[in-house]
Amino acid sequence: MKTVSYSLIRTIFALFCLVLLPSTLRAEEVREYIAISKEGSGRIAVVLDKIAAKGGKESEWAGSLDGTIQGGLDFTGLFNLMPAPLNIRSAQGGALNLGAIGSIGADVFVGGRVSAQNGNPALEMQVWDVTGKLLLSRKYGGQESALRDIGLRFCADLVELLTGKRSVFGTKIVFVSNRTGQKEVYLCDFDGSNIRQLTNTKSISLTPSVSSDGRFLAWTDFSSGRPDLYIRNLSTGSTVSVKKQGVCISPAWRPGTDECVTTLSHEGTQDLYLVKANGAVGRRLTSGHSIEVSATFSPDGSKMAFVSTREGPPQIFIQDLSTGAVRRLTYTGSYNTQPSWSPAGDKILYSSLQKNGEINIFAINTDGSGLLQLTSGSRNNEYPSWSPDGSMIVFSSTRDGSRKLYVMNADGTNQRPLLKMKGEQQQPSWSVRN
Amino acid sequence: MIPLKTITRAMYVPAALFLGACCCNKPVARQEQPPAPAAPAEAQAPVKSVKLGDIFFDFDRSMITAESEAQLKTNAEWMAANKGKGLVCEGHCDERGTAEYNMALGERRAQSAKESLMSLGVSGDRLSTISYGEEKPFDTGHNEDAWAKNRRVHFVEK
Repeated sequence: MKTVSYSLIRTIFALFCLVLLPSTLRAEEVREYIAISKEGSGRIAVVLDKIAAKGGKESEWAGSLDGTIQGGLDFTGLFNLMPAPLNIRSAQGGALNLGAIGSIGADVFVGGRVSAQNGNPALEMQVWDVTGKLLLSRKYGGQESALRDIGLRFCADLVELLTGKRSVFGTKIVFVSNRTGQKEVYLCDFDGSNIRQLTNTKSISLTPSVSSDGRFLAWTDFSSGRPDLYIRNLSTGSTVSVKKQGVCISPAWRPGTDECVTTLSHEGTQDLYLVKANGAVGRRLTSGHSIEVSATFSPDGSKMAFVSTREGPPQIFIQDLSTGAVRRLTYTGSYNTQPSWSPAGDKILYSSLQKNGEINIFAINTDGSGLLQLTSGSRNNEYPSWSPDGSMIVFSSTRDGSRKLYVMNADGTNQRPLLKMKGEQQQPSWSVRN
Repeated sequence: MIPLKTITRAMYVPAALFLGACCCNKPVARQEQPPAPAAPAEAQAPVKSVKLGDIFFDFDRSMITAESEAQLKTNAEWMAANKGKGLVCEGHCDERGTAEYNMALGERRAQSAKESLMSLGVSGDRLSTISYGEEKPFDTGHNEDAWAKNRRVHFVEK
């Protein structure tokens, strides 16, 4: 009965949507179509036409947008991008010959035009499927200085349209680099561009983490001579410190709150504590004489996965924050650390120091099933962190000598360097849009 | 505060006068500088035979090894010979394992060293601990030789 009424509601809703958006967006249908055509292929085949423009400034914008859109879509690893075939239009500026797209094995055609409106770029994009159906037609505008953002907003819409999921576009990554000779915290865009130095402690800065709303940055540094926790409000720039005797390491924000969890040892043992963004130390979450470190929260903030030596060498455990109930997650491998809980809530990434001396990244379901090794034969692969949309993973690797940042798709495919930067890079943490 | 300063100054005067014989053009302000190195030199003499040294650990362990016990006894003797000194026990780890886990492990090593020195009669208030995890390796190599040197507690006078 429940199922019937639910599907009825869905049908009514779908019909309502069809009436409301007659010719542009039928995402449900599109996704289904792509899912079917995609079976066995893995990537969505997209014909990406050059953005049309009338010359001058507009053509400059078009060239820049072409680069942004192609680079952005390429970065996701979701698409097989193809240039438009010569016979795509019947004549110069003529109607689209969508049959030509189907004949080269593409799923969709993406094209558009940019023009000046009050001196600022206005981008009009269209997405068609091979049957001649217009899937999306949308305008994107903004200041000329935000041209890249305009292109990426379209990329985000395209990913959402074709996969039904949010995209990585607009997200940011914090990490540690010793580029200046000392370890400082840096921030870059999802694709490794736009690198900015966030701290200038001239000491050792470690384990940065940004809150889910992008407001707060927490990290540990030795600027006082001791490892203290610092929390900066990224919009106001004001910073508070948590100075406690002993260690203070690896803060992680609890989604939807202004509190993070971190390891402190001022009460004699190394345990996990909740700490407010204003620096107030709150509830102690663990107790005992073992090392408790590197916590990560479930998306709803109700549970945390963390590293503990309570049963011997480091393993991953999961604790329910309201009941305090704890269970061990990892049983394979004798040195498992650095858990990262997936945005969908179903998987946890971690790194494992293996007998052959390599450190590799694994994914495991939160119930302990479905163990999957994502890296191998490439020295030390550490500190995995999910992209906020769950489609990608950032991590550090020594595969090419010194420690650098890499990204891969969630299934371990498409591993590649994230950015080019002097010195070593490590401890990446992928944060939501801000 | 003032009387103490006056007394200290009064004690310096004879020494300054004595030194004055060979350095008569030194400014008077010189009198307020710390005393001649005669006294500390005497205290340092026995230190030559009793020298502070690092202790080393097994991988992922913070337990004091049998080999470390002799060095800890020596370090305790140094503390006995240098009553006015304190020690910082710096915990370090090799590069394997994760930076954040190693911060915790380094602290446990430092804590082990502190407790061990206390059991050898050193007062706890002369000892402090800090962990540098894997951040300050003694040897930057990437092999067991280097790692073994980096899994240590280093003792620094304070």
